[in-house]
Amino acid sequence: MKDFTYVLPKDAAEAARAAAAPNCALKGAGTDLVDRMKEGVTRPDTVVNLLTATDLRSPIREENGRIVMGGAITLAEVAESELIRKVAPGLADAAAEAATPQIRNRGTVAGNLCQRPRCWYFRNDTYACSKKGGETCYSIEGENKYHAIFENVTCNIVHPSNLAPILQVLGGTLHVVTAKGTDVVPSDIAVKDFWVRPEEDISRENILVAGQVIREVSFPIPRGTTGSSYVETREKASFDWALTSCAAALTLEGGKIASASVVLSSVAPTPLQLEAVEKWLVGKAPSDALFREAGTKATDGATPMRDNAYKITLTAVVVRRALSAAAARATGGGK
Amino acid sequence: MGGHADEGKGSVSRRGFLKSAGVAAAATSLIDDAKKAMEPVGPAPAAAVRGETEIRFKLNGKETVAKVPPSMTLLELLRERLDMTGTKQVCDRGACGACTVHLDGRTVNSCLLLAMDATGRDVTTVEGLAVGDRLHPVQQGFVEEDAMQCGFCTPGMVMSCAALLAKNPAPTRAECAEGISGNICRCGTYLNIFRAMDRASALAKGGK
Repeated sequence: MKDFTYVLPKDAAEAARAAAAPNCALKGAGTDLVDRMKEGVTRPDTVVNLLTATDLRSPIREENGRIVMGGAITLAEVAESELIRKVAPGLADAAAEAATPQIRNRGTVAGNLCQRPRCWYFRNDTYACSKKGGETCYSIEGENKYHAIFENVTCNIVHPSNLAPILQVLGGTLHVVTAKGTDVVPSDIAVKDFWVRPEEDISRENILVAGQVIREVSFPIPRGTTGSSYVETREKASFDWALTSCAAALTLEGGKIASASVVLSSVAPTPLQLEAVEKWLVGKAPSDALFREAGTKATDGATPMRDNAYKITLTAVVVRRALSAAAARATGGGK
Repeated sequence: MGGHADEGKGSVSRRGFLKSAGVAAAATSLIDDAKKAMEPVGPAPAAAVRGETEIRFKLNGKETVAKVPPSMTLLELLRERLDMTGTKQVCDRGACGACTVHLDGRTVNSCLLLAMDATGRDVTTVEGLAVGDRLHPVQQGFVEEDAMQCGFCTPGMVMSCAALLAKNPAPTRAECAEGISGNICRCGTYLNIFRAMDRASALAKGGK
């Protein structure tokens, strides 16, 4: 690993000012960044350690009808939070399903959202792929078993974050601070507006720019008749990224679906909001048959590559399972 | 610990770092004061370090002082500078669990933890589990149930089991599986590890 200047900010404002430095990387736990630095894929001159910024460690709490938490709250803390388990079990599930106990004990909420993709061509220093400034996406002609089946045009990464789809479904917000000279300005970004498609800017996955830090993350507490869920498929029971994943929130009224939010992940470069499926679900009574059909509809427009057509089947499966779990939680008094 | 300036270039404020890292505040140095006086009006920049930097943390209950560059992992510090080779390096990418240690009682991959991030924290390695000649119940369980073959995953496996037992004195088979889901044994000794955990649970409760 190349040596670097290690910045130890006392709060998000200091971190944001330091993060404006050239060739600078933000580090939460470092479970992704240290890996990339060892591989030589990322070679920062300056690393800003967000773990010393005390306001990023603000506890998980209820505030004005929202659940709020610091960006450096760990996945284990989210998974173990009784408050989150009670109001948004889908988020607790998503955190508990990630990686391994060791990674969850350190990996942070903001870091989980901002981790770089797992594409093996991107992660391998010897491939000058288009995401790293080269001219080719090697997955188009190469090994693409784990790559995108939607929106796979210029760069076929899949979004790796477990928390991204469920926070989007819950209508989450990222509370960001931005350094402007010596001033530090707060602003809010809706999770659904956070993502950048490769066609917009192939070099990044979200809209954060130099000098910006996610200070806190929040979402509105779902209504009592809303159920949320997160379901994923993997090759291995642990220690693995999802092959397909789906987060859902359903609100039931009078035995019918009053509103639906469904987001797919691990199948496209960004989390995918399934607006057509959501519209189709509203007004219908929840049933296995309905959710099975929704699963099939969710795969409309898929463009699989040589090795990843199996993801179409597994997409239908996670949508059906996520909707069933969300409906069960909604009828069970809401969660 | 004095307030001398760091050796590495680009060090902005050692004093600020020590404070933020939760270590006892060092004496104000003339150099820091002089730097401050020269700074333009506006907020002071964050503390920063470069090159070999002194850190303090608790290692197996003992106050430990070490010098590390920011790029050094805790695993490298333990094995290469502190001669604590019980913790193993295998994948070096957080994907096998052989390097598992406890950080404030929770399991972490020491290969992905920058040593500087252990500042002011409590680190326990496999060397810190036994009390004198008395093995930790998990270690005793591993011995009695022959829960190892080549032994390379064992220290990390033992650390995950010990953390699980501290949290859950009588884990079920499923809870044990979840507890060691961040550790890989290529010899496939998992069934013996589950038996070792049953034995450790009984030993910890004072059973025979």
